Amino acid sequence: MKRIFEIALGILAAIGGFVDIGDIVFNVAAGAIFGYQLLWVVVIGVGAIITYSEMCGRVAVVSGRAVMDVVRERLGFGAGLVALIAGQLVNLMTLAAEIGGIALALQLLSGLPYRVLLVLGVLALGVVIWVLRFEWIERVFGYVGLTMLVFAVAAIKLRPEWNEVASGFVPGVPSSNLAVYAFFAVGLIGAATVPYEVYFYSSGAIEERWTPKDLGTNKANAIIGYTLGGFLSFALMIMAGALFFPLGISPEALGTVALGAEVPLGQIGLLLALVGVLFAVSGAAIDTVFSGAYNMAQFFGWEWGKYRKPVDAPRFTLGWIVMLVLGFVIVVTGVDPIQVTEFSVIFSVVALPLTYIPILLVANDRAYMGRYANGKVANLFGVGYLVVILAVAVAAIPLMIVTNMGQG
Amino acid sequence: MSDTIDLALGVLDHQIVDSEDFRCGKVDDLELEGIREGSPRVEAILVGAPAWRGRGTMGRLAAALVRGRMVRVPWSEVSKVDSAVRLRKPGRELGLARAEGHARPLVEWIPGARNEG
Repeated sequence: MKRIFEIALGILAAIGGFVDIGDIVFNVAAGAIFGYQLLWVVVIGVGAIITYSEMCGRVAVVSGRAVMDVVRERLGFGAGLVALIAGQLVNLMTLAAEIGGIALALQLLSGLPYRVLLVLGVLALGVVIWVLRFEWIERVFGYVGLTMLVFAVAAIKLRPEWNEVASGFVPGVPSSNLAVYAFFAVGLIGAATVPYEVYFYSSGAIEERWTPKDLGTNKANAIIGYTLGGFLSFALMIMAGALFFPLGISPEALGTVALGAEVPLGQIGLLLALVGVLFAVSGAAIDTVFSGAYNMAQFFGWEWGKYRKPVDAPRFTLGWIVMLVLGFVIVVTGVDPIQVTEFSVIFSVVALPLTYIPILLVANDRAYMGRYANGKVANLFGVGYLVVILAVAVAAIPLMIVTNMGQG
Repeated sequence: MSDTIDLALGVLDHQIVDSEDFRCGKVDDLELEGIREGSPRVEAILVGAPAWRGRGTMGRLAAALVRGRMVRVPWSEVSKVDSAVRLRKPGRELGLARAEGHARPLVEWIPGARNEG
């Protein structure tokens, strides 16, 4: 019973932890421009993150090695260093976007100036990371982030044409605007598979001292947690498809996104939406901060882990503090967090094969994984998604240029 | 793990873990002996930025940018090789992870730095 309870808690955290600023921006924009037509891509994206994180979690549990360890082992120093640098650049952009999202949500809640809230937000993140235990960090933000479910209620209240919603789950190609459609397809897959999720997830398995007994939990977290998290993405897109698409509005601001909950549900909807966004984005910011420090430590072999006393893993501790400061420096220059989000998602897609391929190789290596190596099903998905990830990585930059970042 | 270990895949670039279960560097390079005689064996593990010089263009570039000392850990100090290379002694006795000592003063003044995470 206790075990089921623990698994349920983990799943809840995974749902709340799934959605970040990238998912919000891309799902809402896709819904506003294409209605429900791109829902099927979210399914593919969710499948990708399930496949990827299940493998990462399993490798971490069996070998005690997290993603960037494996990347260096398989790619060697040189190519591994390229993967590290690419991963860290994407992490930094993602972090800057999430911090900007925190300040925007706080601004909509409080009305205080954006830059003041940036400072307060970053200080609060630092204190939370320093003080809270690892398990609590993960859970608190996951649970409160669940208030984003208000977008699901909003989507239903907006009375979408359900037969049109259903046809959105069938893959299709529009008659016009093909490049923009493809750009958003790439972005949606990128938003579902932002790399910090797997860096954090695999390192978290080691932080929480998972053993092969926890492989069931790993599978449940990945499959059920991310599937349900995917429902939040559906909700955001359906909400935007029902509200913004008919009006021809493409939300450029987080406040417009929150309108999606306010229009059908009033003030309480707005409040819940903003709190949900605030916690989801804060949780993602913390995961990204840690990911940056995990990656450095795992590539260079430093001691790491929130389970250690800070004085026992000083380079790791400095690593996350530096990440937080750099993320803050980027947003405080005044760059638009929504634009940073779009760039971070597109570049993360380009860099994805560099980490995905080593993980797929190791997950298949019987010398390394023993009887926990990929079975037929894991490989069917693992190799299938390799093809998807490569295609999307190749297409990302050309589509970004051709469509001028989805502007058409 | 199987009985035979592939040096390139199973040792090089792997995590080094000491006898107290602390991570203390990566296998940045290996020192091999007896290749000419036809009976090559691993003499030592090389750890630290200067060891990256032997690791291709990116390695030379990184080694030129990062200061640091190279530590030579004789293979006789290795107790076991699984997904990590495990040592018989604490890393500090072998001169490993000295940079942690330089970084420590920067964090230990913060209240709670000695508390369990």
